[in-house]
Amino acid sequence: MSRMSKKRNAKPTKKSAKQHHAKASSRWWGLFIKLFMIALVLLGGVLIYLDAIVQEKFSGKRWTVPAKVYARPLELFAGQKLSKDDFLVELNALGYRTERAANRPGGISVNGNTVVLHTRGFQFYEGPEPARAMQVRFSGNSIASLAHANGQPLAVARLEPLLVGGLYPAHQEDRILIRLDQVPELLPKTLLAVEDREFYKHHGVSPKSIARAIWVNTTSGSVRQGGSTLTQQLVKNFFLTNERTLTRKATEALMAILVELHYSKEEILEAYLNEVFLGQDGQRAIHGFGLASQYFFSQPLAELQLHQVALLVGMVKGPSYYNPRRHPERALQRRNLVIDLLVEQGVVDAEQAETAKQRSLGITKQGTLANTTYPGFVDLVKRQLREDYREEDLTEEGLRIFTSFDPILQRKAEAAQTKTYKELAGRRGINEVESAMVVSNPETGEVLALLGSRSPRYAGFNRALDAVRPIGSLIKPAIYLTALEQPQQYSLTHYIQDASFAVKSRSGQVWRPQNYDRKEHGTVFLYQGLAQSYNLSTAKLGMELGVPRVLQTVRKLGAEHDWPAYPSMLLGAGSLSPITVTGMYQTIANGGFNTPLRAIRDVLTADGEPLGRYQYSVEQRFDGGAIYLTQEAMRRAMTEGTGRSAYNRLPSSMVVAGKTGTSNDLRDSWFAGFGQDLLAVVWMGRDDNGQTSLTGASGALRLWANFMQQAQPSSLNRTPPSNVVMAWVNAYSGEGSAQGCPGAVQMPYIRGSEPLPGESCDEPESFDPNKQLPAPVESVKSWIRSWLN
Amino acid sequence: MKKQATVLVVLAVLLTGCATGTQQRSIPIVERGGPLTPGVMRDSQARQAQFPQSERIEAEIVTQNEVETVRTYAVPHAPIGGITVSSPENAVPTYEDATNPISNTGADMSRTPIGGQTSLAADEQLAGPVLALLTTAKQQQGGGDLNSAASSLERAQRIAPREPQVFYRLAEVRLEQGDAAQAEQLAQQGLRYSDGRPTLQAGLWELIAKARAQQGNHTGAQEAQRRARVHL
Repeated sequence: MSRMSKKRNAKPTKKSAKQHHAKASSRWWGLFIKLFMIALVLLGGVLIYLDAIVQEKFSGKRWTVPAKVYARPLELFAGQKLSKDDFLVELNALGYRTERAANRPGGISVNGNTVVLHTRGFQFYEGPEPARAMQVRFSGNSIASLAHANGQPLAVARLEPLLVGGLYPAHQEDRILIRLDQVPELLPKTLLAVEDREFYKHHGVSPKSIARAIWVNTTSGSVRQGGSTLTQQLVKNFFLTNERTLTRKATEALMAILVELHYSKEEILEAYLNEVFLGQDGQRAIHGFGLASQYFFSQPLAELQLHQVALLVGMVKGPSYYNPRRHPERALQRRNLVIDLLVEQGVVDAEQAETAKQRSLGITKQGTLANTTYPGFVDLVKRQLREDYREEDLTEEGLRIFTSFDPILQRKAEAAQTKTYKELAGRRGINEVESAMVVSNPETGEVLALLGSRSPRYAGFNRALDAVRPIGSLIKPAIYLTALEQPQQYSLTHYIQDASFAVKSRSGQVWRPQNYDRKEHGTVFLYQGLAQSYNLSTAKLGMELGVPRVLQTVRKLGAEHDWPAYPSMLLGAGSLSPITVTGMYQTIANGGFNTPLRAIRDVLTADGEPLGRYQYSVEQRFDGGAIYLTQEAMRRAMTEGTGRSAYNRLPSSMVVAGKTGTSNDLRDSWFAGFGQDLLAVVWMGRDDNGQTSLTGASGALRLWANFMQQAQPSSLNRTPPSNVVMAWVNAYSGEGSAQGCPGAVQMPYIRGSEPLPGESCDEPESFDPNKQLPAPVESVKSWIRSWLN
Repeated sequence: MKKQATVLVVLAVLLTGCATGTQQRSIPIVERGGPLTPGVMRDSQARQAQFPQSERIEAEIVTQNEVETVRTYAVPHAPIGGITVSSPENAVPTYEDATNPISNTGADMSRTPIGGQTSLAADEQLAGPVLALLTTAKQQQGGGDLNSAASSLERAQRIAPREPQVFYRLAEVRLEQGDAAQAEQLAQQGLRYSDGRPTLQAGLWELIAKARAQQGNHTGAQEAQRRARVHL
């Protein structure tokens, strides 16, 4: 406004034209200079502002990286229980490639029973595992020998751990940060050849490229080529939106120049390699070549070869358009175009190019590290971590979480589940029946595998952790253990009465337990009450011991609960989640030593510095002898009791112990059982708590046995502890007998509680073999019943 | 952003709050009675005497009349071993020991283990992988990196879960880390698997004595010392 008014004021004076002209032009000049100054100041301000943004982003923490969750590293040593097939499955998941001679990291060659491989090396908590070549010879289902490539024996080695997930908030960028020196030489060359030939010459913007782009675009009549340098692309990704306006373009150019002023070409290139968007995996955005390499090839970036590098670089132009999983032909074409371009520019020779073009895309079927691959187990890990770390540390700091997860066992668990549902198909309401399973190693307390749902990829309600359901007969071992802790009063051959009774509570309510078959079984041996899961004798025994005492045993076993001390608790009216049941049975499986269940071993920072450890801890809660006897009754549940049908699938030489559980009206089907090194707890039931057609034996046990058949646990170690003696007793009376007498069997007793040895083979008076021996028909019937019971 | 963060934190709190099943790290009950030692029961007469008496619980139990008749002495309906019993030969339960060549404490393992608590002379008689890891752990322990040493030892324990020397070393490291209670438990765990290896048993009792002394349990420590001497 003021300029306008000056102009108007000038007009009426009209002294001389020349003078006027000179005056005017100097005035214009002054105006121009003023304007220029203002513009300069403004630009300067903008530049300072942009520079601040650039510097802040570049010198600070450039990216937030979600924590990475790793499986256990596979240990290799002579004697290790591992089949060749399982080994190859693991190597495949780790992205190892078969080669004629495995002489590079990530290569394997298989020759009969021997696998030669070159491991990649890895930074573990207690130190680095070197990358090295080795040969593994298999024999049967175990490693017969382990040696260096030159044949020298190797004591122990481990593979790098499989990445099984990350801790992402919703809508999260994910990346694996890489340094320029970890990148295959070909990658920057290819990238520059395709995206920015002048990279090392320009200062952020390349007039030459822009001119070429304009030429190409105008002659072809469509936007085919962008003139953006890598720096501009990086700036765009880092700071700007995707809109196509001149202002944005100008800002981009300014910032690109600023970036180039402050940082070296190498820094810019490294940032680009980590930033570039290369795909979308559900809600997770795949950024950077490091992660893209894992996502598409399951291989570390450093191992990529020409055809793989070309594919990834080709994808930069349009990650979803050239998505090799969705549009393989398009991607292949693009890849070969990139390879041709490399020949054109002399990066590779024609021969190399031809070989590379012959290769298939080589991508894995699906992103093996997707958030949803093992949602059940990763959920358990997250919950444990959240007790000790802040949320932002978990989602931003790139922590490395090392877990006990065993992908081979997980695979077997999933397969067993699928098989079980196939077997149960056609049963009433089976489609509504969900399931959950927790697999652990009782000797270490580590959780090895976990199913949270009948569809293993489902990331919702995690039944293994959150389905808190009545445990039914799974409580019974706690009752018998409570009894067997008092050897003066109870032994496995102690007589108990399986007979109806009723208990009146103070409020006048009457509790009258019943057996599953609604029958009474009269006098039975104590162990039979557990093995056959008789409700009457068990409840009576529990009343004898006292409900509070039994509930205390449950706590001591490791299952915290707030159950009221009602008699109905003795038959499992109290509810627990599968993982809590696992903790409880872990103590029984581990000789009375309680080990808190762990899923995490240790945590490292993004740089590989040790941060935290979840160490093994143990506490003796029960006498080893009492546990041994309880295990014996549970072992017999598998050979002669309610768990018998497991041996339809398991070899008879495999010693396992376990317990079935069924809650009222068939709402919950449970099984918990173990060998020496593997414990699995299975629950099946409906989310709405409705009735199923499954008992513990017909549902959960089936899944358990299908799993154990594949997992092949070591037989339960039955070496008696020092306070347990084996005694010969008459199988019908439980009285002391002598070896060699008819009907004599060996039973374990706490030392001092064994019956007096029988002096001869005289049978007790009341013993009438004809009356007592069940008829063969009966045995078949009871075998059938075991499936229903 | 702040809002989102709050939502996340609230969610996390809620989730952990719901996760009753995963609070395994809080040990509910700590029962620390005397050492669990064998052979408390000598009186088998007493046991015989109480065979027919299940009436003790009469006060709480309303017995039904028709059941009364069953309450007299009766042998169990089914024999031990259920339907399979016919001759002693096949009635004998067969116990198969796990034959893991590494973790087995049998003949292939050292019979003359750790001498006292000072040296680990018997290490060289251990099988390959465990020996290698114990050696690594020893170096780490020597360099003062107790966390790494413990980590290596736990790795050894996963490979040989019943090798008492591993428990011995782990207990030693825990003691050095200042966790005397865990050291004692780990040594107890080692004792569980060291039958027939008196020197190692003595070493483990020595460790228990130390651990108990550190916890202020001096009578317990003396008792452990006594046992250590017995085994030597």
